[in-house]
Amino acid sequence: MSAVIEVSNLTKRFGRFTAVDDATFTVAENSITGLLGRNGAGKTTLMQLITAQQFATSGTIDVFGSTPVENAQVLQNICFIRESQRYPDEFRPKHVFRSAPWFFPNWDADFAARLVDDFRLPLNRRIKKMSRGQVSAVGVIVGLASRAPLTFFDEPYLGLDAVARQIFYDRLLEDYAEHPRTIVLSTHLIDEVANLLEHVIVIDGGRIVVNSDAESLRGSAVTVSGPAAAVDAFAAGREALGTERIGGLATATLASASAKDRADAAASGLELGPVSLQQLIIRLTTSEGATS
Amino acid sequence: MDESRPIFVQIAEQIENDIISGALAEESQVPSTNEFAAFYRINPATAGKGVNLLVDNGILYKKRGIGMFVTAGAQQRLRGERKDRFADEYLSPLIEEAAKLGITSDELIALIRKGDGK
Amino acid sequence: MTTISTPHASNRAIAVTRLHVVNTWSVFALPAIIMGVILVANIAIWALIFANTPAADQGDVREGLQYSGAASYIFVYMAIVAIQSTAVTFPYALGFGVTRRAYAAGSALAYLGLAVVYTIALTVLGFIEELTHGWGFGGRMFTAIYFGGDSWYVRSFVYFAFLLFFFFAGAMFGAVYVRWRATGIVGAFAVIILALIGLAAILGLLVGWEPVFGALDDLSDIGTVSLLFIPTAIAAAVSFLVLRRATIRN
Repeated sequence: MSAVIEVSNLTKRFGRFTAVDDATFTVAENSITGLLGRNGAGKTTLMQLITAQQFATSGTIDVFGSTPVENAQVLQNICFIRESQRYPDEFRPKHVFRSAPWFFPNWDADFAARLVDDFRLPLNRRIKKMSRGQVSAVGVIVGLASRAPLTFFDEPYLGLDAVARQIFYDRLLEDYAEHPRTIVLSTHLIDEVANLLEHVIVIDGGRIVVNSDAESLRGSAVTVSGPAAAVDAFAAGREALGTERIGGLATATLASASAKDRADAAASGLELGPVSLQQLIIRLTTSEGATS
Repeated sequence: MDESRPIFVQIAEQIENDIISGALAEESQVPSTNEFAAFYRINPATAGKGVNLLVDNGILYKKRGIGMFVTAGAQQRLRGERKDRFADEYLSPLIEEAAKLGITSDELIALIRKGDGK
Repeated sequence: MTTISTPHASNRAIAVTRLHVVNTWSVFALPAIIMGVILVANIAIWALIFANTPAADQGDVREGLQYSGAASYIFVYMAIVAIQSTAVTFPYALGFGVTRRAYAAGSALAYLGLAVVYTIALTVLGFIEELTHGWGFGGRMFTAIYFGGDSWYVRSFVYFAFLLFFFFAGAMFGAVYVRWRATGIVGAFAVIILALIGLAAILGLLVGWEPVFGALDDLSDIGTVSLLFIPTAIAAAVSFLVLRRATIRN
């Protein structure tokens, strides 16, 4: 699988604030990658750098093999949908869908029409007067129907209710299966998308703290619960991400546990529990003492 | 979907369960990878991994241009494999828990007989 | 399969051009309606004036009406259209994968096209005004003296030059706003005012004022108005340079 995005030692500073700090990673072609992290961690800035909407302070970015900055060959294969997508005044969804095909050669109008039905979008209402959910739906529809070889979704589903979000995930999966392309999804709602992701990149305070395939992450961490003393003894010498205590009991979250570790824990009378992707990432991004 | 085990393993197990129960008959076609992905709401690549696991184990086979089919004799084989694992997966935990609660082997057997007669 | 397509670069610029005019309401309908309202209001005022003027003085009134500045609203409106259009279509287009170069080219083309369209419209309105002898009241809106008197081609040229100037001036402020927000606008005004003062000072010191005014006098109407193309070109160039490193704020 060739790499569609190759980022090397990328840094972006705004005055004294470092938004992206020495980031290095690649994104493989035809995959769904989750870009996860807290608010202000640098997700949006990172995506803006990759799409040449922002200019890097230092480091290199290669998209489809060359730099994206002012590069029409590269940029016309990218669609970037943001949460705070703003539309020209007086625009109605029909204007958006009329103009989108001019920019996206792979645009599928039938697919867009089906999505408009799915999201129950009023085509003729002024976007200024639409609810947040409806505005988000417009962006989501453009992102999906563009069929751009590289598509970024920057939390565009905030504002969508749970039903609409499920529709988005379902349509995304369906279309991705039929028309494979490279998708990068940034979100806080990690558990909702955990099963969609093939690759996970976690950014915290501008630094990349996790860069791994989703399967390895899932099931890598465990919680160990039981009498506090036993838990502490077991956790000593192992990478613990956090411990909760109540009375004489404790639950420790460990970053990894081999089969032998699990057997040992069970033998010591300790209970083992699973750690969801969201819980793992929360641990990883709070235990680092996030610098924002 | 269980949090602690890789998804593709769980997909494979689900398909195996369907084969054992007869829901997926031998020599019948199984849904495509994309269909599994949509149904379980998971990434197609992950679904593919699960299916490939079964292909590698000979439970499923690929007919080029058509799709995936259940191998003849797969049901029998899977039953056998599961039986072998039964003792470790189900019996050991049962015996351990019984020991924790102070239930003797005889009491355990009596309970099982009672449960079976229901 | 992933298809990496490479449509011609000019397509993207044309896409931007179309983006500026896709919403025909605010670009054509609304200004036309406002123009119509202004015209009707003016006609009503002329009717009132003439109704209250004795016949002997009506000739004087007619002469006075030559100085109508009513049509100049359209220029200011176009500047505002350009500012708003830039401020909003730039982030939108950038999100759709357009290079800043293509955006600048497409926008310039849009403004050029709109200037042509509006020039034609104003010329036609000027003709109607002449044919109806001032909308039946001897009033002048589109053939006001500011537009170069009686020959229609001079008037057309003047319209075009002004429209183009206001479009690109608006585009320039729009670009400044996109890059530096309100601070930028204030700064831009300061720079322009200083530059104008500086230019006036230099001209005054080096050459003296009389030769300058003399030269301007010697130029025909068309010549004087053509000078407007210089600041227009400067505005266009500045817009591009400003946009080249403009980014989208969160």
